Amino acid sequence: MFQKLIAESAAKSPWLFHINSGSCNGCDIELVAVLTPRYDVERLGFKLAGSPRQADIVVVTGPVTKQSLNRVLSAISQVPEPRCIVTMGSCPQSGNVFKGSYSVCAPLSQYVHVDVDIAGCAPKPEAIIDGLAKATEILKEKRGRM
Amino acid sequence: MDFPFIREAVVKLFSKPSCNNYPFTPREAAPNYRGRIVFHPETCINCNMCERVCAGGAITHTSVKNEEGDDVITRSFDLGSCTFCSTCADFCTRHSIELTQDYHMIGIEEGDLIVSGTFIKKKPAPKPAPKPAAPAAAKEETAAPAAPAVKPRGDGKPAQDPDKCVYCTICARKCPGEALTVDRKEKIWKLDEDKCVACGTCADVCPKNAIVI
Amino acid sequence: MTANIFINGLQYLGYILIFPGFLFCFVCGMLLTGIDRKLVARMQKRVGPPILQPFYDFFKLCGKETIVPAAASRTTFLMTPLVGLAALVVIQLFIPIHGFSAFSGMADIIVILYLLLIPALAAILGAAASGSPYAGVGLSREMVTIISCELPLVLVLLAVAKTVGNAMGTGLCFSMSDIADYQVQHGSLITKLSMIPAAIAFAMVIPGETGSHPFDTAEAETEICEGMHAEYSGAPLAVFKLSHAIKVLTLTSLFVALFFGGIGTGLVALDGVIVFALCVIATALFISFVHAVTARLKIEQVFKYYWTVVSGLALVSLVLAWYGM
Repeated sequence: MFQKLIAESAAKSPWLFHINSGSCNGCDIELVAVLTPRYDVERLGFKLAGSPRQADIVVVTGPVTKQSLNRVLSAISQVPEPRCIVTMGSCPQSGNVFKGSYSVCAPLSQYVHVDVDIAGCAPKPEAIIDGLAKATEILKEKRGRM
Repeated sequence: MDFPFIREAVVKLFSKPSCNNYPFTPREAAPNYRGRIVFHPETCINCNMCERVCAGGAITHTSVKNEEGDDVITRSFDLGSCTFCSTCADFCTRHSIELTQDYHMIGIEEGDLIVSGTFIKKKPAPKPAPKPAAPAAAKEETAAPAAPAVKPRGDGKPAQDPDKCVYCTICARKCPGEALTVDRKEKIWKLDEDKCVACGTCADVCPKNAIVI
Repeated sequence: MTANIFINGLQYLGYILIFPGFLFCFVCGMLLTGIDRKLVARMQKRVGPPILQPFYDFFKLCGKETIVPAAASRTTFLMTPLVGLAALVVIQLFIPIHGFSAFSGMADIIVILYLLLIPALAAILGAAASGSPYAGVGLSREMVTIISCELPLVLVLLAVAKTVGNAMGTGLCFSMSDIADYQVQHGSLITKLSMIPAAIAFAMVIPGETGSHPFDTAEAETEICEGMHAEYSGAPLAVFKLSHAIKVLTLTSLFVALFFGGIGTGLVALDGVIVFALCVIATALFISFVHAVTARLKIEQVFKYYWTVVSGLALVSLVLAWYGM
């Protein structure tokens, strides 16, 4: 019964950690816009955590540049289980226009297991809310299985 | 010390929040929003212009021959590479690519973010055998513009290669002097010599490289 | 005889675990934090999280994996949150609720003052044990914040003790239950004019002690990756969040007990509700409202503010109380 309570709470209070691995900041602006009064994702329980150790959902933007690759992986590895990795925008999924460049190591899915992709360049805040809601469902399942 | 927001905080406390309550009330995107790609394969002519101009390299196609010798072509759009710039839709002369207002693009498994369509491109009808060359009489004949062999004309104006041309009409649209008339149904390609300024744009934009200058 | 001791023991156990003890602190503290977050959101024209959100946060954190960094000393890292929590629950046991105090005669204001230092020290020790440079910056700022809040707190408590002591003719009266009884008979201390500066000073100490805007440099999310709690995750972090919530309850109920102690009926249950309502109002005014209209101060500005403006107000009250007004 306690486990059920914990699994329910995991879906109602997911904390986000945002990593920018070299993006143009378009997706970052849309992500922060989701926290503003118009879209107000805090009513669903989301909160930006300052440290990766306190996060549940990691949102990665930007094509993973060579310089930031190790740091992104190190920050992701500090996130405790159960966790969910969400890539936002088309840069971390495939590199978008930066494909084939000498300094870009996209896609992120070849280094870590990515749970949800939110497509768009940049995705609309409503699409981001959809993606995060899907990520909380996946979190609840993972917590249930732990 | 200055506290400029005291009045606002108290007033906002008692007024309605300005939240648009998204997951519980549906929202539509703006009228010309460039969202999810919809592909109409039945109108595609496989000119491959979209692949050439795609900024993110998101469009690919595969081609398989079936029993009758026709090409079965599958064109895929990878939304995970797409910048949604709509250049492909702008360049497509057949209007087979459309960017809709749908913004819900969430991918969970491998193939979620790929839009594709398949169509069959029939083999071209066999061409009639070329007429035997006119006897080399002393009289000069004016050169017919529709000669089957492709040799540069020498005066900078375009010559069409009928084997490669698919009558996509791009050259006619791009011609600054409106010197070309191309009809897809009747398979006509006609150059108006007076209007042609020999700029070479038609040869540059032809996706099949069917024009020789 | 033994039956008496047994019943007394059971009663004390009930006090410790349920009424002004652990369960009451847990529920009421979380509700106060939830109300605070909701009010701040409303003042920013947002909808805000549901009031039960801190409960969801707590249970979710209990379900996360606890990671102890390699550079940390394990026992200190895991034990200090519990020490902080225990100290806060003990303080709450000693605060009277309109004349009813669970362990009357056992503790007084000086003990509460000492015990209020322990949760902050526990957080500092935990941060020091985690071995992270971000935590180091956070803990040095927290130390400065504690030092700056101690002086006005001591002055306010002295002023209250002197006022009640004057009225009862005993010089300085440090016993909390005596202060509560005095207010029940003679009306709240806030009705005396000389106590108003002290009340205002205490109201300004509350956001500093709880680490809320504009005095939250110690736990600055955007600057130093959560500061003191940078390396905490899972159940120890849940305990830290719980002790933060209980600290809000403790400080606001101390405020209500010292200055508004005369409001209430004789029934304990009803008094509990009235005191909780007053705590909600105190939270709304001194924590949420101040959070919504101010920005974060730098650490030297915090220190200067507390040791000049707030201490000045408390000193005014102390001087007035000393001369019997």
